[in-house]
Amino acid sequence: MERLASVLLSSLLLAGLYATMSYGLAVIYGVMRIINLAHAGLMMLAAYVTLTLNTRFGLDPFLSLLVVAPLFFGLGVVLDLTLIRRLPRGGTGPSMQSLLLLFGLWLVLQNLAYVVWGGDTQSILTPYTMSSVPLLGERYGVPLLLVFAVSLLSLVGLTIVLRRTFLGKAIRAVTQNRDAALLSGVNAGRISAVAFGLGTAFAAIAGTMLSTLYAFTPDFGRSLLLKAFCIIVLGGMESFTGVAIGALVLALIENLAAAYTTIPTSFQDAISFSLLVLVLVFAPNGLPALFRGFSRRAVAR
Amino acid sequence: MKLLGVLRNWVLAGLVLVPAAYAQDVVRIGAVLPVTGKESKIGSAYKQATELAVKEVNDAGGLLVGGKKLKIDLSLLDDTSDAAKSAQLVEQLITQSKVHAVIGGYGSQLVQAQSVVPERYGIPYISGGAGATSIYGRSKWVFGTLSPVEHLAATQMDFLQDLVATGKLKAPLSIALLSEQTEHGNDYAKGVKEYVAAHPAAWKLPLEQKFELYTADFRPLLGRVQAAKADLFMADAHLEDFVNMQRTYTQMGLRNQMITYGARGADVSGRKSLGAAADYIFASGWWSDLLPYPQVKAFNARYKAATGAEPQWYHAMAYETVRALLVAIQHAGSLDPEKIRSALASLKLTESIVPGGVLSFTKTGQVDLPFVVTQNKPDGKVDLVWPKNDKTGEPVAPIPWH
Repeated sequence: MERLASVLLSSLLLAGLYATMSYGLAVIYGVMRIINLAHAGLMMLAAYVTLTLNTRFGLDPFLSLLVVAPLFFGLGVVLDLTLIRRLPRGGTGPSMQSLLLLFGLWLVLQNLAYVVWGGDTQSILTPYTMSSVPLLGERYGVPLLLVFAVSLLSLVGLTIVLRRTFLGKAIRAVTQNRDAALLSGVNAGRISAVAFGLGTAFAAIAGTMLSTLYAFTPDFGRSLLLKAFCIIVLGGMESFTGVAIGALVLALIENLAAAYTTIPTSFQDAISFSLLVLVLVFAPNGLPALFRGFSRRAVAR
Repeated sequence: MKLLGVLRNWVLAGLVLVPAAYAQDVVRIGAVLPVTGKESKIGSAYKQATELAVKEVNDAGGLLVGGKKLKIDLSLLDDTSDAAKSAQLVEQLITQSKVHAVIGGYGSQLVQAQSVVPERYGIPYISGGAGATSIYGRSKWVFGTLSPVEHLAATQMDFLQDLVATGKLKAPLSIALLSEQTEHGNDYAKGVKEYVAAHPAAWKLPLEQKFELYTADFRPLLGRVQAAKADLFMADAHLEDFVNMQRTYTQMGLRNQMITYGARGADVSGRKSLGAAADYIFASGWWSDLLPYPQVKAFNARYKAATGAEPQWYHAMAYETVRALLVAIQHAGSLDPEKIRSALASLKLTESIVPGGVLSFTKTGQVDLPFVVTQNKPDGKVDLVWPKNDKTGEPVAPIPWH
């Protein structure tokens, strides 16, 4: 029983990390119907900015969020105004041009990082990096606990903005029906810029968090991006609560498989992507929509 | 008519100039290295060491070949850590730049891609950047100065066996073994497993697992290590995974009697990322600046004077790779590819900076040199603890956990 509790707690903490990585993708897709292939590059860039703030100014990575998040929000708005806005609009899904543009942006960011910071493996070592606390009979690293706290705060903050502010209502309106939102007087162009800014800021928050957990190079983020795709598909691509649920489902499957089966952990990614394929085939709107369908059918009976 | 005259002159000029461009009064060496991209950290170190080795010979007047001093013309290309591009650039150096020999890159994947090209054109190829055995033995033109990775594992096992023999560790001992899902990781795991199978009374292997490069979360894997309750923890990992895994290991409060990450441990950047969590980790390598040979001390001093930095193993092996090729060309007395190849195959480079002091190739074209074992000590100190005759300090075993 204690082992199960510990596995569940590990999954919850890991889900926090996964969700943080995925919010940015969900924000941008929800409003703009664009898959941000530059997401990994933005996470990586944020990790390097956090490293620079730490080595040059001695700023703690978690405190540097106060600098990094607004900085990258601004970067996201600039990217939308200068690049994304020039893409042809039309269709309900992401355009080939948007995929290629953002993939190209990722490569540019990667090469920029090689030029500015070099190819050496970097990491941030703080006084609490190796510290851990005992919980339910196991020890958990302090950085992972702090990342979970940030993820929780992010989810709460996002939910408040979306539900309690005019900006949030406008974002939800554009997500649900862009044309209807336009007719209602919502400035869809401004909302798109804000959404891209928000998505970039969340990518940066994820990058800063990841820099406290992992060593990194300019190539960093590739495998994590694939996991983030998996999570937003599981969660339904447009809902942040869905993203959190998707992250939890993925983390649970990975940890339960490691704890209770003899499946090599090197197959973890294969398990994750098999789940992705199954969800895309049987529940293309994500797990929350699937469960809502089940409950509606159960009520109808 | 005038046009015909102009054309005739161009053809005549070409017949004179083209052979002149590839005259035999210069030694043309090509090198394809990952100066940018994923492998750029070590790739650029290889570039630095390669250029230094060539510069030293050129500054001394050139290479003595067949009684004549010839300058070395080094053409160094960047493959951006891309395997397909790497092979294509080797082909370009051979067919267009008409090099007499090629120096290969860093990283088994890149070298694997490059190594198929020399056979097509009959040009000697030597690499100081790949220890995977599958690369060698397929072509007589391919040589490598990194010893097989299985022998890295066997060296570590010999070192551990000696700790048992000297009473520092008590047999039988069990090992939890993790290795990355790459050629390098597979060779390392194979080396450990073969040793354990050959010494069943003294060694057990209750856990052996593989992991993907850049694994996001090592907790599940280390959870299995914890559950195995093995005496020793042995892993083979790239630098990023080494740092991430050792951080998680420390946070989880795991404690084994000895810890190794294969060739990782003494890296400066690894120690910087881990602080005291890197103490007492032992590592095997192809070279150490702590080797107590006069030629190593002289190399360390020269390298530092030329570049301002202490040499790491990759600088040393890149440097010695070039030196091996140039000495072979000297012994061949000619720039004929077959003569150079034959000289490489029979080379016995004495007073070499490599462990053991002598560099020579086996029948497969790969060297089989001893590995060194280093152990991290507190406050950033590193000791060479194996081979025993070359050690600079006593190994600490078991780890004094507090």
